[in-house]
Amino acid sequence: MKFVGLVLKSARRSKRRTALTIMSVAIAVFLFASLRAVLDGFNAATEASSSTRIVTQRSTSLFFSMPTSHAEVIKSTRGVQDLTWANWFGGVYKDPQNFFAQFAIEPESYLRMYPEILLPPAEKQAFLEDRTACIIGDGLARRYGFKEGDKITLQVGIPIYGTRDFDFTVRGIYRSGGGAVDNQSMFFHWKYADERSLQKGQVGWYVAQIAQPEQATPISRAIDEKFANSPNETKTQTEQAFQSTFVSMFGNLNLLLGSISLAVVITTLFVAGNTMAMSVRERTTEIAVMRTLGFPSATIFLLVAGEALLMSLVGGLIGVGLARAIVSPNLMQTGTFIPVFGVTNANAASGFALSAFIGVVAGLLPATMASRLKIVDALRRVA
Amino acid sequence: MGLIASYNLRSMIVRKSTAAMTAGGIAMVVAVFVMTLAIAQGFRATLVASGSPENAIVLRKGATAESTSGVLRPDVPLVEALPQVARDARGQPLASPELVLAIAVPRQSDDQPANVPVRGVGPKAFQVRDALRFTEGRRFTPGTRELNVGRLAVGRFKGLAPGSTIKFSGAAWNVVGTFTADDASFESEIWGDVDLMMPAFQRNGYQSITVKLADPSTFESFNQAISSDPRLYLQAQREQDYYAQQSQAMTTVIRVFGTFVTLILSIGAMFGAMNTMYAAVAYRTREIGTLRALGFSRLRIVSAFLVESVALALVGGVVGCILALPVHGLSTGTTNFSSFSEVAFKFRITPTLLVLGVVFSALMGAVGGLLPALRAARIPVARALREI
Repeated sequence: MKFVGLVLKSARRSKRRTALTIMSVAIAVFLFASLRAVLDGFNAATEASSSTRIVTQRSTSLFFSMPTSHAEVIKSTRGVQDLTWANWFGGVYKDPQNFFAQFAIEPESYLRMYPEILLPPAEKQAFLEDRTACIIGDGLARRYGFKEGDKITLQVGIPIYGTRDFDFTVRGIYRSGGGAVDNQSMFFHWKYADERSLQKGQVGWYVAQIAQPEQATPISRAIDEKFANSPNETKTQTEQAFQSTFVSMFGNLNLLLGSISLAVVITTLFVAGNTMAMSVRERTTEIAVMRTLGFPSATIFLLVAGEALLMSLVGGLIGVGLARAIVSPNLMQTGTFIPVFGVTNANAASGFALSAFIGVVAGLLPATMASRLKIVDALRRVA
Repeated sequence: MGLIASYNLRSMIVRKSTAAMTAGGIAMVVAVFVMTLAIAQGFRATLVASGSPENAIVLRKGATAESTSGVLRPDVPLVEALPQVARDARGQPLASPELVLAIAVPRQSDDQPANVPVRGVGPKAFQVRDALRFTEGRRFTPGTRELNVGRLAVGRFKGLAPGSTIKFSGAAWNVVGTFTADDASFESEIWGDVDLMMPAFQRNGYQSITVKLADPSTFESFNQAISSDPRLYLQAQREQDYYAQQSQAMTTVIRVFGTFVTLILSIGAMFGAMNTMYAAVAYRTREIGTLRALGFSRLRIVSAFLVESVALALVGGVVGCILALPVHGLSTGTTNFSSFSEVAFKFRITPTLLVLGVVFSALMGAVGGLLPALRAARIPVARALREI
């Protein structure tokens, strides 16, 4: 501990260099923590999915729908406690670039089964009573400045809904109470869409409430068996599996973001390691003098390694701080594809751990160099 | 300039480990830059290759993709009868009404189901899209439950190789052939007989009509004829424009993301270059003093150190490009969000991309080296000479 002063002193020896190194570590940590946050944002919906909700869709793919008659059959399956359904609407708000998810839902049961949709009771009542009502997430509301009472017109995106535009009235702004529901979606009455559908009584997917997560597999199988060999065969899976197919649509994000993170780490190792090596080289004479005075080589090693670690940790703190301050859900809402995310404590911790790693690895070689210095050679050398 | 440049370049070689580490940092940045842009490039190239300059695609008015379009059966003869449509030797119109859907098929890599596009076509589709070549097996026989699968889809999804059987909509379909299409997105698709697929999928209409125009310059009048016909709620687009538009959203996202990440990362690498150059200037204070005493102007000194820094960065840039090269041609996939189904494509590193990477590295070197170079020029001669 008594050497802390010495480490600080040598870090201040070239202030500019120390500052530049700290900043480059800070930038690396900032990028690393932000990339982790992006990845978590993508995975959030999957991870936070309820394990007691199972989703039934057509086995062919989500492009196909099922008749409403499936509802009674699924409800009568042993273990199913509650049921709701939804359709993908795919409408266009003014311009195809303004993409957001719109779901036609069976309102009462959907809100009952998704307590994650946080809606004030008065707004919920207003939504249920108005056939053309919709509720929208607070994130989406901010994006387009929607307020309660506003009219929203959507052009039809899927041919089955005819050619006439749909008009909606915003009756509520919901907040998201969990990852399975994001705050960027719009929900409205399934009946309203169905009335004008060219093919009546079609459902995109059913969501069933079950009591225990362990029941998911047997109940799913029981449901699918009931529709086997019918024209509308189904595939039932947990909500988590259902969500994860959406995440995997983007391609192999883990690999992509992982390789970028790796490149970030390597770049920073180059920069930080280089700096430490330079400063050791500069101090060759000094270190030789210290060794002559009786400092053991282990102490010299620790002094140099300690300096690298210190710089790196300071950089890590700055980087984590920057990431927490800059990367917030509100900032990223403009991105159409990128889900809402913020830098969590876990992201911050992994960023900070990275800075410690960089500090240790970058200091290793220069510290070894310094501790193995031959006193006679070093003293003889000029600058 | 010659003398002083060689002086700087040789000094760089003297400090090879420092120089190597600095260049290494820059190399990583350039590698990331080139690789992310190669994704965007590959995705775009795949979709653009899908469009032929001679073809037009007819979709429902306002539809942005085939998946959100609908063409009614009675519309087809009306479009086919238009004079701008090319005819084959027997006088048949070269128009291909197509059904486009997607079925869920598990991926090879993670076993997760992904939406693979299925295209129901008639025999004319192969005349309209003349880039299609069979690499294995044969074309499906009309009137049978036979399928052809694009080469990239075969590699990416389970159970699509020739000889295998796929079950959907309650019937078994046999894969009888694999085709390539000059890297177009059709290589990610499954093709079969539209007349069998329509009842199997309980559909009653098509998604699009792709038309070969007798003369591509007549496109405007073709579109005019379609959109002004009160019986048709349709519009035409040049096929190339249509596919370019499809790729736009995704490529923009990848490009913005890639540039954003590399720009931030490059700041870190630039700081590294700055450190190195400051150290280089400090080591050589005396030499700089000597040069100045010999009559080299400040400007010469500044430019000399800038050249050194840029050269250092260029080495990094070239190494970075070489590091990125192996990903060229690797195939990967993502969802085309305008069709909601998966498109396989290959990383594509073009010469332009490499040049961009090298220019980017030079820029990093120039920015990182500027302050140290200015400092070198400002050192007072007398003091510099006194320094040991």
